[in-house]
Amino acid sequence: MQKLLILVISTAILMSSCRFFSNDDNISNDEFDIPDELYDDKPLEIASEVIDDMIQNVASPVETAALIKGLNIPFNKDYLANTEAETSLNTSFQKALGLGMYGADLGYINMYERTSLVLNHITAIKNLADGIQVGQFFDFSTLSRIATNRENIDSLVLISQQSFNRIDSYLRETNRAQLSVVIVAGVWLEGLYLSTRVAQDANNPRINETIGEQKIVMNSLMLLLNNYKKDPNVASLISDFEEIHALFRDVKITYEYNEPTPIEKDGVLTFQQNDKQTIEMSDETMQTIIEKVQKVRNKYLQS
Amino acid sequence: MKNKITLLLVSFFLLGFSANSFAQSEDDLVEICAMVAGDATFLKDFKIRLDAGDPPPTQRFSVILKKGIKYRFSVCNSNDFEGKVVLQLLDNNRLLATTYVVATGKDYPSIDYACTKTGAYHLFYSFRDGKPGLAVGLLSLVETM
Repeated sequence: MQKLLILVISTAILMSSCRFFSNDDNISNDEFDIPDELYDDKPLEIASEVIDDMIQNVASPVETAALIKGLNIPFNKDYLANTEAETSLNTSFQKALGLGMYGADLGYINMYERTSLVLNHITAIKNLADGIQVGQFFDFSTLSRIATNRENIDSLVLISQQSFNRIDSYLRETNRAQLSVVIVAGVWLEGLYLSTRVAQDANNPRINETIGEQKIVMNSLMLLLNNYKKDPNVASLISDFEEIHALFRDVKITYEYNEPTPIEKDGVLTFQQNDKQTIEMSDETMQTIIEKVQKVRNKYLQS
Repeated sequence: MKNKITLLLVSFFLLGFSANSFAQSEDDLVEICAMVAGDATFLKDFKIRLDAGDPPPTQRFSVILKKGIKYRFSVCNSNDFEGKVVLQLLDNNRLLATTYVVATGKDYPSIDYACTKTGAYHLFYSFRDGKPGLAVGLLSLVETM
């Protein structure tokens, strides 16, 4: 009887242990399947592992907004996309792009703690997320409660970010990585649009530099998008983005490399990077980029 | 017969408990790590799980960091495993920052990185001495500079 007991318990433990290290676990970031429609005689342009690796943090709704706020530039709700336009987004592609764009706006709103504007945006985002079957990962009820009661604003940012991360992971796990890339493209486009609007109003050299830096980010983004160019909607987006990308050829970026300095203060270890980045961009190039970005953005979602 | 039923229940309990506890532990780690990160604004989490190995296996993620932002990288280990996670931040082949300073033997649950160059950076996570481990890494925004 004891032998039987040991055998059953061992089997149970072994089964649960094997599950922990199994490859099909949802959390693994090492690989994901390629949708059937993308299989072709020709090899993929970049390996799936590389896409998975690259997609991590191409565009962030929070960082652009933080940089703008850090320059003491006041909030302007006129920069935001009109949430009523959400109902005109019908296809999965449109919904995913809109999800990214409204997500970038939500980052901007959250960063400036404009909770009165949050509800419209999270409602639009929830509808779009439901439209591409990822609404369950967007914690609408908690976000809505925090915004309505003006509770902990940090939680608003945290939950918004976590919701977008979960949507991203789920799309990749369910062979819909192209939608994830489209969301990233939406976040990037709206973030750049916000920067161009600020640049027009504030004439701040740091904002101009932020726009010039997008040349670096855009190189990664174009690689990601090009992998899904067989989708006619993505192909059309690529075509629009290529017009922006072409303008960035006139932006010259140079670097000076130096070793970082570690500084420990009050138990916090900070590594101060000492590399220098110089961006050369003429006013004319800047103006053309601003105009093109705003034109492309307004094509997909109006203010 | 009664004994068999008891055995069966115990087995199912163990099986279910093990599976649930691992799943919860990862979510818990993210929450704990958010506390370790303090006031910094959460940006992204990275889940790290590696088997034992020599040389120690690594898990890599790439991120784009932006000039003018001070980032915080926090790490949290699962108590269920021996492995102590180490993060190394690299730009191409240069080691720029780490949570484990070999010279002092000191481990930091979080480090800050003041970025002066926008671009792609690589996060390499491994467990010290190649022990198996489960951990969570967090990327947060401390402030703009």
